[in-house]
Amino acid sequence: MTTATRILTVDDSPSMRALLNHALTTQGFDVAQAEDGMAALDWLALNEVDVVITDINMPRLDGFGLIERLREGSRHRDRPILVLTTESSEDKKARARAAGATGWIVKPFDPAKLVAAVRRVAH
Amino acid sequence: MNAEEIQAIFFAECEESLAAAEAGLAACKAGTQDDDTVNAVFRAVHSIKGGAGAFGYIALQAYTHVFETLLSDVRDGTVAITETLIDVLLRALDTLSDHVGAARGLGETPDDAALLAELTAAMAANAGAASAPAPVAVAVAVAADDDTETTSDDDFGALLDDIAGAMAPPASPPASPPAPVRSWTAKVRPHAGAMRNGSEPVLMLREILDLGGTCTTCDAAQVPALDSIDPGTGYLGWSFALPADVGEAAVRDVFDFVGDDCSLGIGDDAPMPPVRLPAPRASVAPASPQPAAAAPVVTPTANASASAAAPAAPPAPPAMGQSIRIELGKLDKLIDAVGELVIAQAMMAQRLASDGLAVTEELAMLEGLTRDIQESAMAIRAQPIGSVFSRVPRILRELTASTGKHVRLEVSGESTELDKTVIERLGEPLTHLIRTAVDHGIEPASERLAAGKLAEGTLTLSAEHKSSRILIRIADDGRGIDRERVLAKAIEKGLVAPDAQLSKEDIDLLIFAPGFSTASQISNISGRGVGMDVVRQNVKDLGGRITIESEPGKGTVFTLTLPLTLAISDGMVVNVGDQTLVVPLANVVESLRPDPREVQGLGVHRAMINVRGRFIPVLPLYLAVGAIGAVERPHEGVLIVVETEGAGRAALLVDAIVDQRQVVIKSLDTHYRSVEGVAGATILGDGRVALIVDVDGLVARSLADTGLAEAA
Repeated sequence: MTTATRILTVDDSPSMRALLNHALTTQGFDVAQAEDGMAALDWLALNEVDVVITDINMPRLDGFGLIERLREGSRHRDRPILVLTTESSEDKKARARAAGATGWIVKPFDPAKLVAAVRRVAH
Repeated sequence: MNAEEIQAIFFAECEESLAAAEAGLAACKAGTQDDDTVNAVFRAVHSIKGGAGAFGYIALQAYTHVFETLLSDVRDGTVAITETLIDVLLRALDTLSDHVGAARGLGETPDDAALLAELTAAMAANAGAASAPAPVAVAVAVAADDDTETTSDDDFGALLDDIAGAMAPPASPPASPPAPVRSWTAKVRPHAGAMRNGSEPVLMLREILDLGGTCTTCDAAQVPALDSIDPGTGYLGWSFALPADVGEAAVRDVFDFVGDDCSLGIGDDAPMPPVRLPAPRASVAPASPQPAAAAPVVTPTANASASAAAPAAPPAPPAMGQSIRIELGKLDKLIDAVGELVIAQAMMAQRLASDGLAVTEELAMLEGLTRDIQESAMAIRAQPIGSVFSRVPRILRELTASTGKHVRLEVSGESTELDKTVIERLGEPLTHLIRTAVDHGIEPASERLAAGKLAEGTLTLSAEHKSSRILIRIADDGRGIDRERVLAKAIEKGLVAPDAQLSKEDIDLLIFAPGFSTASQISNISGRGVGMDVVRQNVKDLGGRITIESEPGKGTVFTLTLPLTLAISDGMVVNVGDQTLVVPLANVVESLRPDPREVQGLGVHRAMINVRGRFIPVLPLYLAVGAIGAVERPHEGVLIVVETEGAGRAALLVDAIVDQRQVVIKSLDTHYRSVEGVAGATILGDGRVALIVDVDGLVARSLADTGLAEAA
C-alpha cells in the first residue's frame, strides 16, 4: 500500500506557505501547514506526518526551538525535519544541524530542489 | 491556487509586515528597544525579502537584503540603536514601502542608491569595516541571487569546501573533478551521526543509484564481531562507479544535508574514508575495535563544538493570539446569513406573539444567542484602527520634508476596532485631513515660538467607541481656522451671499463646500486635486459624518463619526400611509409632534416649521415615496428632524414612528437597481421589505423641487 508522503510546513509568512503548498501538492504530497513553532507543536501532538519543513525566523517559537522540542520528545525524535532558510551561512547550517535538523532548503527555493530534498529524507 | 493569487497573498503580507516594522520602529523611537521589538522589525523585513526572492522581484530583494543585513546587526547588538539610526531605518522603511509598491506595479522603482549607502555606512560606522559587507560585495551577492540555480550552487560550493576540508583524510587532498573519462568513483562512508536527526543513509545511497551510479564494492572490513556491534555506528563503506556525465557536485549535493556525518572520497584514487569511531577524530580504526569504544553513538567533538558555536536560542516571544486567514467573501456570506438569522428570529417571535403562544423564556434565550452570534460574526470583520494610524508617521515625515514643520504625533485608542471595509476606506480621508492639519493648521516654527508655543507642533489622533459609532479625532495645536479668510474666499467664489450672516460653525463648514479648494491647495496638500469636499464625501459614503471645532490660535479638531460596520445600521422604522420606511438614525436629530401654530403653510404642499426659532422646511415623505392614505397635515403626524450634509436640516413628515432598531442593510443595486432617494432595503421582523431612506439625497431633491431651504 502506498500513501502520499505527509508533510507539515511551518512558516509565518502566508505567501511562503502558499508557495510551499503549491509546490508540494502538485507533486502529490499531502500537505498540512502551521504558522509558527507553537502551532506546529500543537498540530504534531495530534497528527502524524512523514516530513516537517520549517522556517527559522518565526514569532512565538522559532524553527530551532521547534526542532529542539521535537527531538527532546520520543515521538518525533527520528522525524526528518528540513529547515527553510534565506541565510545560507555556515553558521546557520551548523546551528540547524546542532538543533537536530535533517537538512535545509535555501530560499528562494527551486520547486524541483525542494521536492528532491523532501524525497531525500522521506523514509 | 494560481501564481497571481499567491502573489496577492504576498502583497497583503507585505502591507502587514510594513505596518509591523513601522510599529516596531516607532516603539524603538519611544524607548522600547528590547529584543522582541527589534526582532519583530527584523522579521518583517526578512519576510518581505523572502517573498521578493521567491517571486522574483529583484530590486525589492536587493534592497531588502541590505536593509535586513543592517537590522540583523542591530538585532545581534553589533550596531547600537541610536536616534540617528532609527531615523535612517524609518526612512529606509519608507523606501521599502515604495519598493513594494513598485513591485506591485503601483509606482516607479524608487532610487535607493543614497539610502543604501546610508544603510551600509550605518553598519560600517558601528561594527567596523571588517564585519560590514562592502556595498560592492552586497551588490554582487544580490545579483547572484537573481538566479536560484546560481545561488544554491554558490552556497553549495562554500559548503563543499567545508565538508571537503573536514572530511578528506589529511594525506589525500580533495580530488579535483574527474577528467572526462568513461566513469569515475565515489566512496561513501556514513558515520555514527548519519542516522541522527531523522537522516537515513540508505536513501542517499539509493539516490546515487538513481543518478546512474553502480555500487562496485562494499567495505565491510571494519565490521566487528556480532556481539560488539553498535547499531548506531557506521562500519560500512561503499564505492560507486558513476558515469562521466554525472558531475561531482551532483553527488556531493546528495550528501549536503548530513554534513560531516558522512565522509566522501571522490575520484578513482581517493581512499575509502576511514571508519570514525567515537574516539576524537579517529584516524584509521583498529582492525578489531574495542567493544567499549564503539558504544557512544554521538561523536563528542562534533557535538561539543556545534553547541558551543550555537548561541542560545532567543527567548520565545510572548504568546500572542493565533489567527487564521479567511477569504473575505466567505466571511461576508456568514455575516449575511447571520443577518437573515436575526430577521428569521424576529419573524418567529412576531408569529408566536400573534398566535398567542407564550414562550417568552425560550424566545429570550434564542434572542440572546442570536445577538451573540451576530456580534461575534461582526467582530470577525473588525480590525484595530491601528493599521491606519500606523501609516501616519510616514505621512508626517514626508510633510516635514516638504513643509519644514516638525510635528510630534500622539496616538490613542489604536486598538479600537471597526469594520475592515471602513478601515480600508478610511485611509484616504484621514491622510487628507492630516495633511490639511499640518499644512494649514500648524504654523511654521518661528510663528509658533512668537505665539508662545513649542516650536514642534503636536498632532493628536484618537479613536474611541461611542454607543454603536466610532469617533476619530484629528487635533492639531495650530493657528485654527482663519474665519475671515475662509468667509472672504467663499464670498469670492460665490459659495455664499456677500451679506450672509453665518455662525462660526457655519463658516468652518465652508471648507468642505465643493469648489472651495483652491489651485494652490491642490498642489500643496495632496497633488491629486482632492479637496475637503471629497473628504466629506468619502466619510459620508461610509455612513459617517465629519465636524470641526476650531479655536483661533489654539488649534483645530476634526471629528469623524463612523458606523462600526457598513452592514448593519441603526434605523427608525416609520409608517407613511401604506408603506413602512426606515430613516437612518445617523441623520435623525429629533422627532416631534408639532403644534399647528408652529407650522407655516406656504401654498398647497409646502410648509415650514418653527423649531425653537429656526425655520425648517417640512417634507411630506408620502409625496416623495408615493404612499397612499398617509397623514397630510403636519400636526396630525410626526415630524422627524434630520440633518443632511448638503441641504441643512429638514423635517420629514411621517404618520407614526413604529420602532427604533438595528437593520441589516441590503443593497438595492445588487438586487434591483440604484434608486434615487433610497439608500437600500431591509427585511423587517414580520418579513416585509422596507426601503431605507437616503435622507441626504431625498432632502436635497425635494428642496430643489419646492424651492424651500432652512432659514435661520
